[in-house]
Amino acid sequence: MADNTEVIVNPKEDIVDPWTVQSSSDKGVDYDRLIEKFGSMRINDDLIKRMEKVTGKPVHHFIRRGIFFSHRELEMILEKYEQKQPFYLYTGRGPSSEAMHLGHLVPFICTQWLQETFDVPLVIQMTDDEKFLWKEEIKDPDQTYRLAYENAKDIIACGFDINKTFIFSDIDFIGGCPEFYKNICRIEKKVTFNQVKAIFGFNESNNIGQVSFPAIQAAPSFSSSFPKIFGGHTRVPCLIPCAIDQDPYFRMTRDVAPKLKFLKPALLHSVFFPALQGAQGKMSSSDPTSSIFLTDTQKEIEDKINKYAYSGGGATLEEHRKKGGDLDTDVSYQYLRFFLEDDVKLERLGKEYKTGSLTTGDLKKELIAVLQKLVGGHQEKRQRVTEDIVKQYMKPRPLNYKF
Amino acid sequence: MADPSVENQVNGQAEEDLVNPWTVSSSSLKGVDYDKLIKKFGSAKIDDGLIERMEKLTGKPVHHFIKRGIFFSHREMHMILDLYEKKQPFYLYTGRGPSSGSMHLGHLVPFICTKWLQETFDVPLVIQLTDDEKFLWKDLTVEETIELSMKNAKDIIACGFDVNKTFIFSDYDYIGKCSEFYKNITRVQKLVTYNQVKGIFGFDDSTYIGKISFPAIQAAPSFSSSFPHIFGGNKKVPCLIPCAIDQDPYFRMTRDVAPRLQYLKPALLHSSFFPALQGAQSKMSSSDPTSSIFLTDTPKEIKNKINKYAYSGGGATVEEHKEKGGNLEVDVSYQYLRFFLDDDEKLEKLGNEYKSGELLTGYLKKELITILQELIADHQKRRSLVTDDDVKQFMTPRKLNYNY
Repeated sequence: MADNTEVIVNPKEDIVDPWTVQSSSDKGVDYDRLIEKFGSMRINDDLIKRMEKVTGKPVHHFIRRGIFFSHRELEMILEKYEQKQPFYLYTGRGPSSEAMHLGHLVPFICTQWLQETFDVPLVIQMTDDEKFLWKEEIKDPDQTYRLAYENAKDIIACGFDINKTFIFSDIDFIGGCPEFYKNICRIEKKVTFNQVKAIFGFNESNNIGQVSFPAIQAAPSFSSSFPKIFGGHTRVPCLIPCAIDQDPYFRMTRDVAPKLKFLKPALLHSVFFPALQGAQGKMSSSDPTSSIFLTDTQKEIEDKINKYAYSGGGATLEEHRKKGGDLDTDVSYQYLRFFLEDDVKLERLGKEYKTGSLTTGDLKKELIAVLQKLVGGHQEKRQRVTEDIVKQYMKPRPLNYKF
Repeated sequence: MADPSVENQVNGQAEEDLVNPWTVSSSSLKGVDYDKLIKKFGSAKIDDGLIERMEKLTGKPVHHFIKRGIFFSHREMHMILDLYEKKQPFYLYTGRGPSSGSMHLGHLVPFICTKWLQETFDVPLVIQLTDDEKFLWKDLTVEETIELSMKNAKDIIACGFDVNKTFIFSDYDYIGKCSEFYKNITRVQKLVTYNQVKGIFGFDDSTYIGKISFPAIQAAPSFSSSFPHIFGGNKKVPCLIPCAIDQDPYFRMTRDVAPRLQYLKPALLHSSFFPALQGAQSKMSSSDPTSSIFLTDTPKEIKNKINKYAYSGGGATVEEHKEKGGNLEVDVSYQYLRFFLDDDEKLEKLGNEYKSGELLTGYLKKELITILQELIADHQKRRSLVTDDDVKQFMTPRKLNYNY
């Protein structure tokens, strides 16, 4: 289904694809159901223990708290790591607007942690061509090309190691690396319209660029797409941290990989960062009241949380003290799960809110402080990212690894 | 089901000509009915008026391909002549799908005409080698199609293009080198739906997604902004595309999209098909060696192929032939002479004599064999002189001898 401008109110079943995320309940998407439907695996305690054993440190709180909740073949990656064999990370961003929001940070925060922990190269794809092909209001690829470079600054501000990270715009890289385009063609020859119809819901009125785009998002999963980084090696395995709505692209990729004698990429899926109004939608750059933008001022953050963040607390103070707050639907609490690193404090706040001893106002206060610091810190780091630094990250070049 | 079908009455039964980039077939011995095709496609016949105007403007006779109606149809050729008159620039664009190492006589046709156009009008030329297309359509690897591109480039260069005025490019090479080209591809892709390519090219739901989006890649060279090193970023240098008529669907689509991108619609010159040896019901094909005269054939092979396989419009016996004469329209040897015998007078003489039965099939074929042996031997000689460095030169994105 192309285009998420249409919001389907109260769908009967959860809708999850790269362009639309709408849940049928106010608790949000049923992720257990989704794992079953998609055929991925839950990240369970055993897997977490294994990761901690293998890396010698606790997992990121995103993984511990089930924000990254599902995977495909993560064990294979851990095996490689144990055998001191290489793998690389691949994630991406669709640069449809200048302002990125908190939800966009989630995969990048986790990816940065993975890069640090496993010490592996990372490629980040900016799908400027995709956004041009999909957005009616974007009249020329030059616009999304520019957005790609702007968004790259926010991504770089997440702290990726310049010697281990290659960020690329599709327009630059397709128009700069024949090996990438060749892989795109190889994939395009293994996927029919019937298949993209079934996987993505395409139909006759999709433009022909949209129809073939999935091959472009698939191609970075194969190390031969990056000759300067991997020296022509075609079988360095790939791990893709992404939001679960991206999974269809990689189910398709995993299906195609063996036919090309490439390795299937492994995946780490995250849940959605809920919109301010509640867990039925996902944050969207096109709706300012649904999001906390990385450009919001301290005051804007305060106002948005106070005004729009859906409360799972009681309708009145009495009711709240009596019944307590519903942690599952309370957006402020959910946001704290993402961004309050302190496990102990999070648990305390959760208990107090649930029993009603902590009010919504006070919970929000905690959150506002956390977000102001996070966003303020991000803005500072972003300011230090110059055009030259962006260019360095985006230059096709060998990284600090030999293959 | 691939598209434009043209009614063709044969023995009282309505038969359809099938003409699209991947299939050309007709049930009639005379081949495709080109007049009907012009109507169906909506192009215009190259008439005497146009020919006269060309000759007046250029100060010389048109190439015999145009005179004899081998290039028979066009779109907006008058617009191109208007520009030439006003000393305003345009450029040429043609191409080749490198599906095999060996090119055949039929492939030479657009290149011969294009070279004449380049010389006559003194304009730059881009030649697209669609190695990605052939990869998507044929059972070939990427590496194989690239290799074929390089091989075919030598044959094309051997046609005599001016290195200072010609840019030859392989899609795999050029898409991966020039963002402006890729951007134009996406601009075209955005304006064409799957529904449209289904209608135009006969794709269906079991078609690979690569094929579905390919037409945008053949469209993009029609726009001068795809070649920043040649046109310096000028987006509005008009384009003239000499090609065989089966390529027209790509450019009908391109002409439809152009104004929405604020680009100019390309003009076109269409050629008819070089008939297969067995007759004009099909076009010559690399995949069927007995249908083709290859550019690598030896003089003996040429002789044998013409003698053995060239469909004869002559009488079944010598008596019958002397009595009824030969049918020029279905006789493949005569048709080939129309293509490759430069001398108008001689061609007419042979035609008259064959038609009246005076000249026998064997002798007609002998005339043809001599001409083809010379043509191909010359080509092979010129090709042997083309080095890998020459190819590199032609294929380097660079400024040509023109300023914009």
